Amino acid sequence: MDKTILSRLQKLNQLSLSDKEEESVLAFFADREAECEALSAIDTEKVERMVHVLPILTVVREDKEIKTFTRDELQKGAPETEDGYWQVPRLVE
Amino acid sequence: MKYETVIGLEVHVELATDSKIFCSCSAKFGGEQNDHVCPACCGMPGMLPIVNKKVVDLGMTAGLMLNCDINRTTTFDKKSYYYPDLPCSYQTTQWFAPVAVNGLVEIETSKGKKGVRIKQIHMEEDAGKLVHDDWTDSTLVDFNRTSVPLCEIVSQPDLSSAEEVVAYLERLRSLLRFAHVSDCRMEQGSMRCDVNLSVRPEGSNKLGVRTEMKNMNSLSAITRAIEYEVARHIDALENGTEELVQETRRWDDIKGKSFAMRNKETAGDYRYFPDPNVMPIVIDDEWFDKIKSSLPEFPEVKKSRYVEKLGLSEYDAEQLVQSRALCDCFEEACEVCGSPKDVVNWIISDCMKVLNRKQMTLDMLDISGKALGELIVLVNDGKVSRMNAKKILDAIFEGEENPATYAEKQGFIVSNDTGAIEAIIKSVVDSDPKSVQDYKSGKEKALMALFGKCMRELKGNCDPQILKKLLLECVEKA
Repeated sequence: MDKTILSRLQKLNQLSLSDKEEESVLAFFADREAECEALSAIDTEKVERMVHVLPILTVVREDKEIKTFTRDELQKGAPETEDGYWQVPRLVE
Repeated sequence: MKYETVIGLEVHVELATDSKIFCSCSAKFGGEQNDHVCPACCGMPGMLPIVNKKVVDLGMTAGLMLNCDINRTTTFDKKSYYYPDLPCSYQTTQWFAPVAVNGLVEIETSKGKKGVRIKQIHMEEDAGKLVHDDWTDSTLVDFNRTSVPLCEIVSQPDLSSAEEVVAYLERLRSLLRFAHVSDCRMEQGSMRCDVNLSVRPEGSNKLGVRTEMKNMNSLSAITRAIEYEVARHIDALENGTEELVQETRRWDDIKGKSFAMRNKETAGDYRYFPDPNVMPIVIDDEWFDKIKSSLPEFPEVKKSRYVEKLGLSEYDAEQLVQSRALCDCFEEACEVCGSPKDVVNWIISDCMKVLNRKQMTLDMLDISGKALGELIVLVNDGKVSRMNAKKILDAIFEGEENPATYAEKQGFIVSNDTGAIEAIIKSVVDSDPKSVQDYKSGKEKALMALFGKCMRELKGNCDPQILKKLLLECVEKA
C-alpha cells in the first residue's frame, strides 16, 4: 500500500481522508502486509481452500413467486418518487 | 501490415425462473414500474438474501451443456457498484468459486470447426432500469429487474471475427434454449453480450489494447460493432488517428459508431469480497446426478437422428432443433401418428402460418404434440378435410387437447353417406346449368366452380377425391 493506491481507493470508495488519517491508514496496512508476508511463508500446497469462516451451508428456497409488498408500501419512506419510480439526482449528463 | 483480431465475450443470459435470485418477487419481464419489488431487492437495511434453488440448478445445467467442470462448492461474493439500479451499492455475484469453469463450445463457420474455451459461468443478480428524465432533470429508478437471476458466461479470447462471434452466440442460444436455461431473447434483453476486442500484428504473441463494447441487442448490431471497432483500432495503429486506451465503449447502432463511456475498471477496482450473507452452497452427488440425468439430447445429436432415422431433410431437421419445445412437440406428435414427414410438414407450413398471424416465431410454438398427432391421424384417415383441419389446428393453438371430440362437436367429421352427398351435388348442378354447359364445352374452371359450391354446401365435410368423382358423374349425366 502506498499513497497512489490509497488515493485510488479513496476515489473508488468516495472517501476523502485528511493527511493524518492517510498516515494512520498507511501504517495500519503496512502492519497487515507484514502479517500477510509472514503467513505466506507457510506451505499451504495441500491445504484445501477455506470457502467460509463458518462451517455452515446456505439454505435454498423453491422457485415460487410470492408477492409480499406493494409499491406504495415500499415507497412510503422514499425521499422522492415520480410516477411509481424512485427519483434520484440525475446520473448522466 | 496484416492484423489479427482477438475477441473474448461476456454473455449474460436471464435464467428461466418464476422468482428472483434472492427473494420471491416475480422475475417476469416487464410489468408496471416497481411492481415486482420487496424490501430485499430494494436493498432495505437488514434484509437477507435466500438463494433460489432453481438458479443453481440452471447454473449447473448451463455449465454441463457447455462442457464445464462444476464447482461442487460454490460461493457468492460482493462486487462494489455505485449506481442506483442496484440499491445495495454492490452486486451479489460469484468471483472466487463460480458454479462452472473450464468449458468448451464447438462452433462452425465458413472456415470450418473451432473450439471456444469457456473460462467460467457465474450466477449473479441483474441490475434495475434507469430512466434519465429531461423534464424533471433527474434519474428515475425501476427495481423490477433488480435481482432477476443471470448467468454470465465468460469465454477465453479465442474468437477472431464477427462471423465467429455470431456462430458462438447462436450456438450458446441453441444449447441454453434446449436445456430450458433461458429463452435467450436478445430483443427483450434476456441475452446480452459485451465484446472485449483488441487488434495485433498477425503472428504476434502480445495482445493489443483492449476495449469493451456494450449495448448491443442483435446479432447484426454485434457484427456491425465489431467491424467498426476493428477498423478503428487498425486506423489508430497505422495512422495514429487516436491513442487507443483500455476503456468501456457504447455502441450506437443508429450512428454506426462506438463512443467512450468510461475507463475500463480492472477486477481490483471492483473490490470483490465473500458475501457474508450467503453461506457456501455444496452440490452433493444426489443433486449433481439429478441435474446431469435431466440434460437433453444435444441439438446436433437430435438433428442427425431426425435425418438418419426419421428420414427428414437436413433443412427440416435444422428448423426443428431451433428449440426444445419444437422438438418435444414433433416427437410427441410422431408417437401418436407415426408419420414424421407429415408432422414436420404440419409444423413448418400450417403451424408457421398460425404463428405468423400471431406475430410469433417457430421457436415459440407451444401446443400439445399429442393433439397435433391426433389431428394428423384424422386428416390421413380422411375423417376431416384439410380445410376443417386448419380450423381444428386454430383450436389446438387456443388449448384444445382433443381434436376428435372438437371435430365432432363442430360437425367437422367427413360424411360417408354418399347418398346425401349425391343429393347435394345434384341440387348444385341443377341450380347452375350454365357452369355445366361451360364445362361440357371445354372450360375446366367451370367444374371447379361447381366443386367449390358443393364443398360449401357440405361445410367441407367431404373427401375431396370422392366429391370430385361423384360430381363428374353427375355433370356427365346432366
